[in-house]
Amino acid sequence: MSERLKVVHYLNQYFAGVGGEEEANAPVKVIDGTVGPGRLLQQILGGDAEIVATVMCGDNYVNEERDEALAAIGHALSHAEPDLLIAGPAFNAGRYGLACGEVCRLANAAGIASVTAMYHENPGVLEHGAECYILPTGESAAEMKDVLEAMTRLGLKLARGEEIGSAEVEGYMPRGIRRAGLREHPAAVRAADMLVARLNGRPFDTELPIRMPEVVEPAAPIADLTGTTIGLVTTGSLVPRGNPDRLVRGGATEWFRYSIDELDALSADHWESVHRGFYTNIVNQNPNYVLPLNIMREMEGEGAFADIHPWFFSTTGVGTAVGDSKRMGAEMAEQFLEAGVRACVLVAT
Amino acid sequence: MISALYSLALTTGAPRVVRGSRIEHVCGNPALGPEKDAEYGRRIIRAALEALQTPVAKPTLFEPAGQPAKVEAHAS
Repeated sequence: MSERLKVVHYLNQYFAGVGGEEEANAPVKVIDGTVGPGRLLQQILGGDAEIVATVMCGDNYVNEERDEALAAIGHALSHAEPDLLIAGPAFNAGRYGLACGEVCRLANAAGIASVTAMYHENPGVLEHGAECYILPTGESAAEMKDVLEAMTRLGLKLARGEEIGSAEVEGYMPRGIRRAGLREHPAAVRAADMLVARLNGRPFDTELPIRMPEVVEPAAPIADLTGTTIGLVTTGSLVPRGNPDRLVRGGATEWFRYSIDELDALSADHWESVHRGFYTNIVNQNPNYVLPLNIMREMEGEGAFADIHPWFFSTTGVGTAVGDSKRMGAEMAEQFLEAGVRACVLVAT
Repeated sequence: MISALYSLALTTGAPRVVRGSRIEHVCGNPALGPEKDAEYGRRIIRAALEALQTPVAKPTLFEPAGQPAKVEAHAS
């Protein structure tokens, strides 16, 4: 117990101070000691534990070159031999959250305790929530200190092999694991109490929140595309150069439609991406990478389908709330249906 | 749906997912040079059109025919 525990801290390129989206392809790098929020984390860990190394990887690299990245991170872990891996916190950064979950699972598989933290709508929760200890955070880094303190509390308990209480008690996000135990009252009494509370409009806490995975019924296939109009949608923030409608760079609640009726391809002179979640330099040289109008026109000419809907729909797919995404998707679908569009190709960055 | 983060698209329940190139250039790859890039883009779109005509019961990945030779990431 008195021995100082060894910690490895995982960060993305942004929090490690390497750079923003232009550095998101940076491969894995191991740095001795602390970097960025790791300095505050070390202060909080105090004499209990020492951050012996920081592992940094770009958010694109770790997701696109997953096998290589995880091999390098695994190598770093076996070299550092930590008692605990602390990943993030990732807040509402989607690729970062996914990476933090992956790295925690990698550590767990190697017998190393791990903890991460992120916003509840971060896709990392959906992908890795059942396998990792994930503490909840807000959307932004403003609460960094509180989150690091919570990660330290839970992380040290895990590293010391102490018994971990329920999600409710310890504050991590439920992993969907039920453990047998005794309560004061039998289930029938608790259920009846809950029912009475509900019937009387009094507050009550369910013992088993059911997280219903949303099932989307796949649309029936189209038997013959040659008679079909296809609609184009992008979440890559594609707008006319100058962004006349002021589409936001992240956290979108609105979408816009733009005419492509007269166009054979998208020119960088007239179109740009304002997305804050990826490095837009390549798309801003060739916008067809997020809305492949050039190839679609070619195939339209070959008769692969009837034609392309004269308007494309655009929004920003980063930090976008699930509720807003659903509403915008429904609005787009409604416009397509009204216009007789029965098929859609959506490019998601 | 065409996406470079295709595994996430599948997890979140998108029924028809086409494997895109990379986050920064989903529908092609400038590192291949103009001709091969265009050919790669065509394969991605063909996979999307194929997906629209294929019955699926659950989230399904559609791979563009003959993935191109691996190209180095644009590490900058």
